[in-house]
Amino acid sequence: MEPAGAAMPREFAALEDFPTLLRRRGLMSQTPLSPGPVDRAQFTETHATTILAFKFSGGVLVAGDRRATAGNTVVYDRADKVLEIDRHSIMAIAGVPATAWEMARVLEHSFQYFRRTQLQEMSVDGKVRALSKLLRDNFGFVMQGVGVVVPIFATYDFASHEPGPRLYFYDAMGAQFEVTEYAATGSGSPGVRGILYYENKWGKKPLAKLREDEAVTVALRALDTAAEADTATGGVDRSGKIFPIIKVVSQDGISTLAEEKIAAVFKRSVA
Amino acid sequence: MIEEPYRWVEAIANRREYIETQLVSGSPIVALGCEEGILFLTVGSGRQKIFEIYDRIAMGAIGHPGDIERLRMAAIELASTEGFTRSAADVSLRRLAYYSLSPVMKTAFEQVYGAPYLARLLFAEVGATQAQDLFLRVEYDGAITSNGAPTAVQLDAFAVISGSRDATAAVESYLRDQHKPGATLVHGIDAALNGWVVAQLAGDTTNTKEPPTDAQIAAARAERVRAGGIEGAILERSDARAIRYRMLSESEIGAATGA
Repeated sequence: MEPAGAAMPREFAALEDFPTLLRRRGLMSQTPLSPGPVDRAQFTETHATTILAFKFSGGVLVAGDRRATAGNTVVYDRADKVLEIDRHSIMAIAGVPATAWEMARVLEHSFQYFRRTQLQEMSVDGKVRALSKLLRDNFGFVMQGVGVVVPIFATYDFASHEPGPRLYFYDAMGAQFEVTEYAATGSGSPGVRGILYYENKWGKKPLAKLREDEAVTVALRALDTAAEADTATGGVDRSGKIFPIIKVVSQDGISTLAEEKIAAVFKRSVA
Repeated sequence: MIEEPYRWVEAIANRREYIETQLVSGSPIVALGCEEGILFLTVGSGRQKIFEIYDRIAMGAIGHPGDIERLRMAAIELASTEGFTRSAADVSLRRLAYYSLSPVMKTAFEQVYGAPYLARLLFAEVGATQAQDLFLRVEYDGAITSNGAPTAVQLDAFAVISGSRDATAAVESYLRDQHKPGATLVHGIDAALNGWVVAQLAGDTTNTKEPPTDAQIAAARAERVRAGGIEGAILERSDARAIRYRMLSESEIGAATGA
C-alpha cells in the first residue's frame, strides 16, 4: 500500500485563478526576460487617452474620449476605452489598447470563471485585486517602454454593510487607490482633474449631487477641455459627430448613454 | 487476473452494476426546451445539482459529488479557455462532450484498476431557435445520447437523467406526450415537475407497465414536492445578454407550480 499523503498535494484541487489557468495552458503571453528597452525610432506604440469617472446621484459615471494615437499620428477616432467587464463592473483604460483590451478580456473571464467554479460572485475586493495583479504582471513590459496601462475601475458593491458604487484608479505598477469622488487618468487628465476639483468644490453643487444630465455636461466639458490642450485626446469631434462613450454603473447594472442623448446635452450646454 | 479477456469483460460488467447501484437513488433532472429558453429542473436533495458551464451551456448531474465536481471543473476550464482564446461563439457543447469528456470518462471506466467517474451528466446548449437547442447525456462510461445528429431533425425538445433506465424512459414517454415545442416557461416548469414525479412513481411501481394517471401524478406531486425544494435554472434564449444562465427564483417557480 502506498504511504498516505504521497499523492495528496497534487490531488487536492487548488482554487486556481483564471490567469494561472491560462499560464498553465500556455495561453497568456509572458514578459520576455531581458530584450532591453524598445527603440523608439523602430517602433511607436498606439496609445489611448483620457478617461474620467466620478460619483453622481445616479451611481458612477465613466467617460472616455475616442482617440487612439501613435506618436503624432491619430490611429483611430472611434476607440472604445470604457469596457464592460461584467454586469456591474467597468474598466476604463488610458494607455496601450493592445495590452488593455487583453487585460479586460482576462478580467472578464476571470470573474466569470470564479463565479462558475466557486458558485458565488467574486467579491469587490477580489475583483479590484485581480486587476492589480494583471497590472503588476505587465510591469516588465512597462519597464521596457511598451504596454503601459493606467485604468480606472468602477463597480457596485452589494455585499458591503453600506452597499453603493465603488471607484478605483490604478498606477502602472498595480497599486489601487479607492476614491470617494472622482478619478481621471491619461495624457489629458491634468486638465480634467482640475475641472472635476473645481466643479466639486465651487460648482453649483458637489459632483455627488448632480442629476444625470448635469453629470454628462460636466463630463463632456472636461473632455472638451482636455482635448483643447492635448492632441492625443479626441474630445468631441464636432464635424464627425463622434461623441465620447459614457456609461453609468448603478445598482441596476450598467447603462450606456445613447449617442442622441449625449448629442443633445452637448448641443445645449457644451458647444 | 484480468489478463484474460473474459475476466476483463466480467470486471467491466461488475463495475457497471456497481455504478448503476450507486446512481439509483439520484433525484431525476429534467432539461426542457421552451420559448424563453432551456429549463433545468430537479427536486432538491440538499445539494446543488444544476450548474452553469459557459455562456450558453448548463449541466445537471447525479452521482458522487467529488466526481461531479471534477467533471464540472474540467468542463468549465475547457469552455473558458476556448472562449477566451477564440470567442464565446466557438465554444461548442458537442465538441466539449464528444472530444473532451467522453474519451476521458471511457478510459477511466475501462481501466479496472483505477476508479471510474461515478456520475451521469445532462448538458444543454441553448440555440437561437428551439430547433437549434442541443441536449446531451453523458454516461459514466463515456457513452453519449443526443437529441439529434447535426444533420438530422431534432428528435426531442427535452432530455432527462435519473437513477434508472426505467424511470428515465417513463419520464421521456410522459414528456413526449405532454410537452410540445413552443410551450412557455410556465408550462415547461409544470411539465418538468410532473416529469420528475413520473420518475419517482416509476421507481415505486416496477410491476406495472401502465403510465400513471394525471390524478396519480397530482397526488404524488402534492405529497412529495415542497415549493422550496425545487431547484430550477434557465438558459435564456434572448441574446440581450451574453451570459444566458440564470437560476430561477423561488417566486418564479412558485408562480408556475401554484405552490
